[in-house]
Amino acid sequence: MSEVMNKDLRRKIVDMVIAGNDGHIPSAFSILDIITYIYADVLKFDAANPDDPKRDYFVLSKGHGCLALYVNLHRHGVITDEDIALFCKKDGILGEHPDRTKVPGAEASTGSLGHGLSFSTGIALGHKVKGMDNKIYVLIGDGESHEGTVWEAAHIATNHRLKNLCVIVDWNQSGMQLLPEDNLPGKWEAFGWHTLVIDGHDEQQIAAAFETVAHKQTDRPSVIVAKTVKGKGVAMIEGHGRWHHRIPNEQEYTEIMGALA
Amino acid sequence: MNVNKSIRQQFADTFLDVGQKDKDLVVVVGDISHGVLQPFAKACPGRYFNIGILEPTTVSLGAGMASVGLYPVLHTIAPFLIERAFEQIKLDFCYHNLHGNLVTVGSAFDYSNLGCTHHCYGDFALLKTLPNMEITYPGSAVEFDTLFRQCYRNTKLSYYRVPGTPHGVEFKASDIELGKGIKVTDGADITLVATGPHLKTALGVRDRLSATGLSTEIIYIHTIRPLDVDLVHASVDKTRKVVVIEEHMRSGGLGDEVLRETRDISDVKYASASIPDQFITGYGEYHELCESVGLTVDGVMALIQDQVI
Repeated sequence: MSEVMNKDLRRKIVDMVIAGNDGHIPSAFSILDIITYIYADVLKFDAANPDDPKRDYFVLSKGHGCLALYVNLHRHGVITDEDIALFCKKDGILGEHPDRTKVPGAEASTGSLGHGLSFSTGIALGHKVKGMDNKIYVLIGDGESHEGTVWEAAHIATNHRLKNLCVIVDWNQSGMQLLPEDNLPGKWEAFGWHTLVIDGHDEQQIAAAFETVAHKQTDRPSVIVAKTVKGKGVAMIEGHGRWHHRIPNEQEYTEIMGALA
Repeated sequence: MNVNKSIRQQFADTFLDVGQKDKDLVVVVGDISHGVLQPFAKACPGRYFNIGILEPTTVSLGAGMASVGLYPVLHTIAPFLIERAFEQIKLDFCYHNLHGNLVTVGSAFDYSNLGCTHHCYGDFALLKTLPNMEITYPGSAVEFDTLFRQCYRNTKLSYYRVPGTPHGVEFKASDIELGKGIKVTDGADITLVATGPHLKTALGVRDRLSATGLSTEIIYIHTIRPLDVDLVHASVDKTRKVVVIEEHMRSGGLGDEVLRETRDISDVKYASASIPDQFITGYGEYHELCESVGLTVDGVMALIQDQVI
């Protein structure tokens, strides 16, 4: 069992959910460690100029995990304390899914699953047309991978050799509750992608995977299939069930914060 | 320009000309019009993609390209590009406020013998629900060429519904402006609002009505959204009789729009020459399906005699 990382950000997420009286805590905890690593160590971006054409892109296709994105945009100064305070408030810019038209640093308005990878494939192909080598990272869910559009885009990316495109799959077994036979790494390999499988809560494995992607000797797109735990970090909320979209009560809040101390 | 020139050939010619001057124009097709677009593919290497048979992702991909400053043309058969990929149009283009160009063939029942899977008569109704859309129906080559050049780089998502049969009426490029209808004939007794190939039908009806002593005003509409409300309203206000002729389902088409925009005018007699709100299950030539739903001179005359005069 890997040690729980990013406890400070996990606490911030819980506080945002309490203040906003809404949000998906377990989904955010599932992807938090990967997104945090990407923003800290992988992505080239200018917090003061999030639309910089030279930037690398991060697209959160699994939009309901957006709290993990928001706390990282906040940590790096792309969005403000006030933005965080107004999560799910009438005058705020942060809702339960990221909105490209409102949130600096949100590259796509996602929430309806199965859009983000196809949109990102267009970003990657567009940069190829323009002769630019920006990197495009897109995080999708394993349940989202039921959507046919994921595989439409995967097919295009392979055939157009979109080597600057990297997918991270949040393989927390949500999808397998419904369709248990699901060899995700095998599928991506069959689609011709450079495929890595890691523990998505182990910093060394996360770092090694992105290092491998950065120095790969192939013109194929890459996928990091990350084994994750929904609700990672707090035993009470881990797994699939009632915590998917639940707001902690006072007693539960105390217990969660105790686990994240 | 030859009034009977294939509009599909025209869009290939237009893309070739525009694409050689504008390095940001990208053409993405779903294995349709591949042959006619080869001159563009050769003249604009790296900007032509016969992307595959995957329309929802084609639309999302086009939106992604637009987000990095390219001007995409996405092209395939209407039911697949508009109806199958509707949510991608709605969210990835329209909600994101991204520009782009959807060019279809095979609208209504142009592909008559291919059956209902290849028909698309509800596209205006669907797309009118979306903010940031422009909807055009260029019925001749010059209309496509002119409207595309006016629209392809603007901030909207522009839809060009290309019919298989041009209406055969000659317009000059200077006659064509997005959002502006064209008064083809002046008249005082009845207004015919026609769109697409059925401008030709309207002219035939006008000739028949003239023989009975009625003068007909024909308003031709190549832009469904934004609609030239002023032109339509002024004509209906004058004649108080209006028939809308369109290759679209009765619900949600141009006729509904005309009714809504003229609702303040009293004592208007209205009729809709359109496709009934049902699947068109028969086969045969395109003109035979037009006959089956009354989209002919005889059919519109019968409708007028029954409901308008």
